[in-house]
Amino acid sequence: MSAYAVEVEGLTRRFGAFIAVNDVHFQVKQGEIFGYLGANGAGKSTTIKMLCGLLTPSEGRATVAGRDIARDPRGIKRVIGYMSQKFSLYMDLSPRENLEFFAGAQGLRGRARKIAVEAALNRADLRDRSGQRAGDLPGGLRQRLALASARLHAPSVLFLDEPTAGVAPDARREFWREIRAVAAQGTTVFVTTHHLDEAEYCARVGLMVDGRLKALDTPAGLKATHAPGRFLTIEGAPKAAMRAAPGLMAVEPFGLRLRARFEAAAPLADPARCAAWLADQGIAARVERAEATLEDVFLALVGVEVL
Amino acid sequence: MTTEILAVALKEIRQTRRDPRTLAVLVVAPLMQLILLGFAVNLDVTHVPVVLADADQTAESRAFAEALLAGETFEAVAALPDPEAAAAEVIAGRAAIALIIPPGFAAALRAGRAVDVQALADGSDAQRAVVAQNTLTAFAARWSLAYSAATGQAPRFTQAPVEIRPRVLYNPTLNSRVFFVPGVAATLLLVVTLVVTAMGLAREKEDGTLEQILVTPISSEALMLGKVLPYGLIGLFDLALAVTLGAAIFGVPLRGALPIVGLGGALYMLTTLGLGLFVASAARTQQQAFMGAFFLILPMTLLSGFMSPISNMPAWLQPLTLLDPMRHMVEILRGVLLKGASLADLAPQLLWLAGMGLTVFTAAAVALRKRLA
Ligand SMILES: Nc1ncnc2c1ncn2[C@@H]1O[C@H](COP(=O)(O)OP(=O)(O)OP(=O)(O)O)[C@@H](O)[C@H]1O
Ligand SMILES: [Mg+2]
Repeated sequence: MSAYAVEVEGLTRRFGAFIAVNDVHFQVKQGEIFGYLGANGAGKSTTIKMLCGLLTPSEGRATVAGRDIARDPRGIKRVIGYMSQKFSLYMDLSPRENLEFFAGAQGLRGRARKIAVEAALNRADLRDRSGQRAGDLPGGLRQRLALASARLHAPSVLFLDEPTAGVAPDARREFWREIRAVAAQGTTVFVTTHHLDEAEYCARVGLMVDGRLKALDTPAGLKATHAPGRFLTIEGAPKAAMRAAPGLMAVEPFGLRLRARFEAAAPLADPARCAAWLADQGIAARVERAEATLEDVFLALVGVEVL
Repeated sequence: MTTEILAVALKEIRQTRRDPRTLAVLVVAPLMQLILLGFAVNLDVTHVPVVLADADQTAESRAFAEALLAGETFEAVAALPDPEAAAAEVIAGRAAIALIIPPGFAAALRAGRAVDVQALADGSDAQRAVVAQNTLTAFAARWSLAYSAATGQAPRFTQAPVEIRPRVLYNPTLNSRVFFVPGVAATLLLVVTLVVTAMGLAREKEDGTLEQILVTPISSEALMLGKVLPYGLIGLFDLALAVTLGAAIFGVPLRGALPIVGLGGALYMLTTLGLGLFVASAARTQQQAFMGAFFLILPMTLLSGFMSPISNMPAWLQPLTLLDPMRHMVEILRGVLLKGASLADLAPQLLWLAGMGLTVFTAAAVALRKRLA
């Protein structure tokens, strides 16, 4: 079997004249958390749906868990789990009933089904609420139920389409703990997100812009390539004053502060020197070192802050 | 395969049980409909104003008219010599029935030939016209029998000597109560199965739950059977309930073998459930599904002969009604319940239903698989 959980070659999907996914190539390694980033309408969901057999590609080919999506869609469905962008379990059924149904649809029966359902309820912390309507659960628990449901049959590849959209920060962290635990057990996780902080948890991140895969690397690699230099945050200095700083590559407002990027070798990239340089001009500012973020990468690649 | 089918069926049952609206559509509404419509046509009708046009003016024709008017049901308001004038009275609303005895009435009877008496009825009051029409028919049969017996001519008639040829003006939707109830039963079965299946699948599309099902390896056949099975059973239950209530409340006779009705119902529902799946595979929203179902139900009901007799329809339309499964179901229900028809009698209807059912259901399965794959 191939070392890759997902292999995509020239994958393209058109809707009429519109190209939602445009000639995309990538590989996802076994057991890695692969992040898929992009603005609204970039083509993330369309890519996932093609890989799950919900949409047929207009062009290109792909394999999931070694199976060709065009030739063996049924086989793929046995080994993948999918959590769609919109909550799509039955709101009017209880968590237990939902799990029982999807386990049955997966072909699990008898004792195997019972064990899978109980394990899923435990994983999602839904033991006490297993009889409530799923629609009455808070957002975070719903998403964990959906994840537990997608994992019922122990899939080897999990596709999660914006699993934490609309979920409170605490619940998001909890959710990501689970995702990392799943990956640690060897399951490949293909996840899309709008939260750049979440992308930092991913082994590698693909960046979609208007249907094209613009960049693909580890978070650190992306930053080094697309947001080189050193970052400072500056409080109490006007933007115009910073513009004149030698070695400056970019400066942007960052809340009430400024965020400046300097060439790596620039003397002013040192916070103390920068503060001194501003003091020389009669400006008393607080300067601190900052890290490059994926936001910077995004800005550099897309030109606007869209996420 | 059975695991998957049962999982889907169980899920459907759980959802239905929890949804008062679906439950109402499935059980309460049809029964209300049956009872209300049944009662609506069950009004006593007396003193129906009749205008008599006796073009024969013989002892026989007078005896016929007198015997008819002797009962409670009819009351003569006028006697006119001219059929046209009598019809005008009905059109003007001064009489509900124009009874037209043709010239040669007596001569025909004496010669042993059958003769038609025409009854023009004002159909704007359906109940009255229904009862009048049935009473007339029954009366003519009784009178013919008495006449034959009295004159010793019986053996020479191959059919009842006097036959009423009713023609309804304005409103052809007339039926007697016992005719009506089987029709209602067939309609409610259609509505229940078609609407609920179509809406159910459309709802899964709207909610995205269908997408979630489609990433499981479940086959479209298992999905379809699982979805259709519970509603088929509920439909059969509705049918049994309708027949029971029809018999208990409205005195619909149960003359034939009820298993034939069950068999007919099952075959009928192959088509109606299949149509529901068809609609659902084409519709993207519940609203579209509802509209689609509605546009199927309306013509099917109209063409079924449930409300207006098929013989009253234009000649070109009549053969087309054979393609209406509801027509066959109505005929099976009426045949078994009212006439005690046997399996052999109803073989054509059952075969039509089986043929259409298998065709529609298979086509729906194929359509659904294409849509879902
Ligand atoms: N069935 C469809 N018919 C026509 N256009 C579609 C269809 N599905 C998606 N699109 C279009 O394709 C583009 C990509 O959609 P997609 O859902 O893949 O984006 P996305 O990256 O998942 O965005 P989001 O962050 O909003 O979920 C969008 O412009 C969308 O309008
Ligand atoms: Mg999306």
